[in-house]
Amino acid sequence: MNSKFKKIIPNILMMAFCLVYLLPIYMIFTNSFKSRSEMYENMMALPSRLTLEYYQSALSKMNFWVSLRNSLLLTVISIGLIVILSSMTAWMIARYKGKVSRFFLSLLIATMLIPFQTIMMPLMQEMTWIEKRTGLTMTDSIPGLIFMYIGFGAGMAVFLFHGFISTIPISLEEAATIDGCNTWQVFWKIVFPNLKSTTITVIILDVIWIWNDYLLPSLTLKAKENRTIPISASKFFGQYTISWNEAMAALVVTILPVIVFYLFCQKYIVKGVAAGAVKG
Amino acid sequence: MKRIGKLTAAALSTVMAASVVMTGCGSASTNSEGSGAAGGEEAAAAKITIFQSKTEIMDDLNALAEAYTEETGTEVEVWETTGDNYLSDLKTDLSTEKGPTLFSLQPGAESIQMADYLEDLGDLDFVDKVSAGLADEVDGKTVGIPYTVEGFGLVYNKDLVDAEGFTSTDDLVSYLSSAADVNALGLSQEDYFLIAHIFNAPFAVQENPDEYLAQVLSGEVRLADNDAFKEFAQIMEAIRANCTNPADITYDGNCGDFATGKTAMIHQGNWAWSMFADYDMSFETGLAAVPIQGNDKLSVSVPICWYLNTDASDEEKASAKQFLNWLYTSDTGKDYLMNKFGFIPVIDGMTSDGIDPLSQSVADAVAADKIIPWVMSNWPAGIVSTDLAPITLDFFTSDMTGEELLNQLNDAFVNAQ
Amino acid sequence: MKISKKWFAVFTLPLMIIFTIVVVIPFFIGIGYSFFEWDGFAKHQAVWVGMQNYLDVLRDDRFISAEIRTVIFTVIAVVSVNLLGLIFALLVTTKMKVANLSRAMLFMPYLIGGLILGYIWKAVFSEWFLSLGIGNWLTDAKKAMAAMIIVTTWQMAGYVMIVYITGLMAIPEEVIEASSVDGASYWQTLTKIRLPLLMPSITICLFLTLSNCFKVYDVNVSLTGSGPANQSELFSLNIFNEIFEQNNFGYGQAKAIIFFLIVAIITLVQVSITSKKEVEM
Repeated sequence: MNSKFKKIIPNILMMAFCLVYLLPIYMIFTNSFKSRSEMYENMMALPSRLTLEYYQSALSKMNFWVSLRNSLLLTVISIGLIVILSSMTAWMIARYKGKVSRFFLSLLIATMLIPFQTIMMPLMQEMTWIEKRTGLTMTDSIPGLIFMYIGFGAGMAVFLFHGFISTIPISLEEAATIDGCNTWQVFWKIVFPNLKSTTITVIILDVIWIWNDYLLPSLTLKAKENRTIPISASKFFGQYTISWNEAMAALVVTILPVIVFYLFCQKYIVKGVAAGAVKG
Repeated sequence: MKRIGKLTAAALSTVMAASVVMTGCGSASTNSEGSGAAGGEEAAAAKITIFQSKTEIMDDLNALAEAYTEETGTEVEVWETTGDNYLSDLKTDLSTEKGPTLFSLQPGAESIQMADYLEDLGDLDFVDKVSAGLADEVDGKTVGIPYTVEGFGLVYNKDLVDAEGFTSTDDLVSYLSSAADVNALGLSQEDYFLIAHIFNAPFAVQENPDEYLAQVLSGEVRLADNDAFKEFAQIMEAIRANCTNPADITYDGNCGDFATGKTAMIHQGNWAWSMFADYDMSFETGLAAVPIQGNDKLSVSVPICWYLNTDASDEEKASAKQFLNWLYTSDTGKDYLMNKFGFIPVIDGMTSDGIDPLSQSVADAVAADKIIPWVMSNWPAGIVSTDLAPITLDFFTSDMTGEELLNQLNDAFVNAQ
Repeated sequence: MKISKKWFAVFTLPLMIIFTIVVVIPFFIGIGYSFFEWDGFAKHQAVWVGMQNYLDVLRDDRFISAEIRTVIFTVIAVVSVNLLGLIFALLVTTKMKVANLSRAMLFMPYLIGGLILGYIWKAVFSEWFLSLGIGNWLTDAKKAMAAMIIVTTWQMAGYVMIVYITGLMAIPEEVIEASSVDGASYWQTLTKIRLPLLMPSITICLFLTLSNCFKVYDVNVSLTGSGPANQSELFSLNIFNEIFEQNNFGYGQAKAIIFFLIVAIITLVQVSITSKKEVEM
């Protein structure tokens, strides 16, 4: 009995801590049901009634389903390409040791330190320039934005993949080469499957970044049919005041898909690592 | 310092050359592609895009765009952003020649800075009916059509205080120091509500406000030597001594305190009415002048105007002008302006019923010519958020004297030049 | 293993070309602008001023104090984020029943992006603290900085936790078991075995948090808005104000370049120090 009790206590403490930790999220959730005057009365209290009024108006004002489709397309394709291209690059840089590799790596890492605000105007000028010269729709198009996300996501993804690849032994790859695999096959058959845990880390971190990103899409996506969720929710943020209840309702529906996605991935991480342990 | 000529540019490294290309390419462009969107239809004019900063009207503006397309067949697209990101987004768009057809700016410093992006709107049908002085003129050309007028002053609770009865700064200050059980006058922490609006009054009561501002900027005169500003400093000291610290309260909280009777007056404008909508207010409200130097006039002006992008194609320009004509003269357009957007009429002969009490006070003040201008529109760009507000916050959280406050504010103006 | 140049190009060039177009070229255009006096409008002439912007930056007290503040903020935030993230990672990889659930909960703050989080925290630090009698943290320069560090830590601890979990799980069970058989205490196992094996993750996390904290913008805008009296203004916001509020595009770019150099040096030093401590597995 006593030892059982001892086991429960840390669990209770941990849960209590987590709940306190999530207090601001509680505030977002509860205030999405309150009118302006109710929120003014007490921001911390539970709402006096559970109304979906603000959710309904937020969803319709945001043109939610179109925005959701755009956000999904943008996030999934961008991240798919970031993962594929970055893992390939990272592996080469890690295995082909030379001046070019070192230059690429330091270039990728150094640019992670550039604040986006300082390059946003030159970037948009360059994209417009390309658009005018080549006819490719770089601005106000989802493919154009995906292209830019690959560029901005490259640094961190290569950095993470490179860090992990340097820790895995090269012997397996050499064995595969001797068995007659070419470089392309070695990567996809041997190396990439081994990168599972880093791939998931990259995916999780990038999903959140791209899903929530405001500044870059706001500069490029103008047409109604192209807007993502954060752009559609921007109308709740006025110059002086925020339409709190709608903004928070919008936030709740925006992060729900990400939470579901994360819970799904979390299971997968544990499984993937466990499977690896059995094999090893 | 020398201007970049072709010769020097050639000598620069490729990096610099690239940037010259980027900065220089805007000069003579007419942005012809992408504008012929009208397709095969003859009747429909070119599609126009609208980008504007008043997020409060966004939903109704989208509905208006649909209504317009239905009536005329012309496509109108409204872009979106947050109130805070509007200006930087607009600048980026204009600099990449991807600007909207119609956009909004504050008349004054903003429109002067962007003057070469603003098309002459003097040939609009209704332009001579715009109430005197409300259209934005730059270099003698009418470039901006006003949305509405807005006015600010002391929004007060008629059950608690008779703010119309204040005829001098002394009256106001003595009320501030004597009011019990209630917060006498509320400012809030947002830049404009903290300093910009209330600081407009001492400028606007000068005999020639624009000239006075120019003298302040050039350092010819000091604020601390001027009676109106001395009175302003007195008021600020009285607020600090007797009222809730503005640094501790937000716009939302300030309006909530007022709506629930905890605050007798707030320095606000007619736009604040929408903040009271969710409250059950049992008292009448009024809008009174800040009585500096016996002033009995409200600070009223045009907050933002519509502007037409000079980089738009000729078809887009024509189409945008048709849209503006329709907005200000058709029944549907006027219905949106007055009833959906809740704007105060800016066109002679246009009337609005069903206006809220604060807007009514502003409309009355305009009709009675009891208004003073927004000198703040001509302050150097960005000075409010980067200098004036921080200085004022410092004032409210320290024991700086009113005179020191004036001197620091004054220095900010001089340094901004 | 021998890899031909052809394969090297096939694997790296697609990404490097996109990356160059999207990040490197705009960055260099930005460097170009830093030699001009220009207000950011394409129609307005940019005037060549040479190194003048850079000389002015070095005399700009407000920028220098924003820069010092950013460095202080970053150092403290990096330590607190990583410490908390590591503790979280150790806690949620134990055999506790609620481990998986708490892992998801601790990660949640990071899911919420953008400005709204700052506004929520602003209400906590000002209105809620006032109602509790603690006083408004955001009107005191030091406490406002502390508030920013707290919010940043709160938001990013879950982010580094994910990377640490990946690292912790990669440590073979046998190693830990062997050490406990040898009678090592939890603390000894942690400091002598787990942490050294975790060094690659630590390098990664330090770098990720370092670069994120140096660039922090959202929290600065929405939580303190640089107040009180500009005493919590960090670098990104300072430069944003310079470029878009005050229309000094070239000058703002010069600030960005100077700051980039400082950050790059600090970060490279950090990476080279920590990578030396990594244990090859």
